Amino acid sequence: MSTIHTPTSSGHHLVSPDGKWYWDGVAQEWKAQPGTTATEKPAPPKSEPARGLTSFTGNVRSADLAEGQAVLVWARWILIGTGLLLSFWSPKDLGTLQVQLAAIIALAFGNFYLHVQLLRGHPALDTVVYAASLADIGVVTALVLVQGGYQSPVFIFYFAAIVGISVAFPTWLTAAYTSLVVGVYGVICLVTAPIADDPAVFTRLLMIAAIAVCGNLFARSEAKRRADAIRVHSELLDEVEQRSSIGGKENVASS
Amino acid sequence: MSQVREVRSAKQAEQEDLFFGQTVIVWARWSVIVAGIVLVLWTSTSVSLLTQTMPFFLVLMAVNFFLHGRFVMGSPLNRFVVTVASVVDLILITAIVVLWPGSHGLNNQFFVLYFPVVFAFALVFTRKIEVAYTGLAMLLYAGACILAGTVPFDLGNEDKVLVMRLIVIAAMGFLGNYYFRIQRDRLAQAGKAAAA
Repeated sequence: MSTIHTPTSSGHHLVSPDGKWYWDGVAQEWKAQPGTTATEKPAPPKSEPARGLTSFTGNVRSADLAEGQAVLVWARWILIGTGLLLSFWSPKDLGTLQVQLAAIIALAFGNFYLHVQLLRGHPALDTVVYAASLADIGVVTALVLVQGGYQSPVFIFYFAAIVGISVAFPTWLTAAYTSLVVGVYGVICLVTAPIADDPAVFTRLLMIAAIAVCGNLFARSEAKRRADAIRVHSELLDEVEQRSSIGGKENVASS
Repeated sequence: MSQVREVRSAKQAEQEDLFFGQTVIVWARWSVIVAGIVLVLWTSTSVSLLTQTMPFFLVLMAVNFFLHGRFVMGSPLNRFVVTVASVVDLILITAIVVLWPGSHGLNNQFFVLYFPVVFAFALVFTRKIEVAYTGLAMLLYAGACILAGTVPFDLGNEDKVLVMRLIVIAAMGFLGNYYFRIQRDRLAQAGKAAAA
């Protein structure tokens, strides 16, 4: 919000560019300037026009998701790198290897695009990120199914995928994705695992959920800390401005 | 990540991160405790086995009640105690991998208990400590598998599975700490932007 740092007319508060609103840091809201006939609050800043490969439909980019995208992208690179290494390590049969390599390479292309967008400073749209994470889960599930379900050792890549999701996505989406993973993998295990291994299945599912809870808990806690830090600074700033106006001193911004 | 000057001193930042992040470690430990208790109750085949294994989890539960209680009361424990408790988690999980009746080492399926513990630790501590902790977890797990005689070192399927699991343990630590550093940077930026 560049507007709050560009006071234009008043020396006592941060004022919107049209001069009709001032920012009340204590109440954390825009208020109408006395003696003006303000009818609308300042419009939010316009989003940048989409260009080239960034022109997917919609323009929603959440700040938290944009920051969390870096974790998602690196989690996916780990999945891709490890998947490639292990695919070439004592492959069992041609069909399995073909499915593995096709899925991993497709994932690598998608991740390359997302990584380039991040490096250019244009994080991908929310919907694209959500779809990419669904693709991660789909690829891991496909590999698990190809390798015999419960017996497949690649289920551990669910953990890497859930780590990224838990820190980047809002709580309800994290819960939805985690439920999807637990549900799908749980069904696969129930069908393919011997009854004696049910405790191991339970442990796997519980730990997937635990990772999601820990990651999301931390992300929410950090968001709150950040909001608190900004609020405290704004309150202090506003208090200083109010004191300077009461004391008759000129505000720095108006000098 | 752009370099932003911290408003807080490095020591203050670490203390605050530990204060606010401790809850994640506590919750990760709760997940391990719940899993352990359910497994003990579920898989015990005799009274003696149940009475021998359950006390470990009861002690861990008591410790975590204490840690969680201190956190809720606003006086969480210091870095040393948190680190020691986290190392005890690793030792306990390794003991499960080595000693659990039925399957040992690489064949034991409870290695997944390492994941939330390593991830939660990485969300709270600085990179050097996190690397040491993650390395310790990998070392303990690899040692447990080798000690149990389940790794043939023939570059076959067992070796491959071990490498895969070690990579994912490392990934948990790396991703958790990477996110931790992003968040610390954002917090610094938020403070700087508001102060500007």
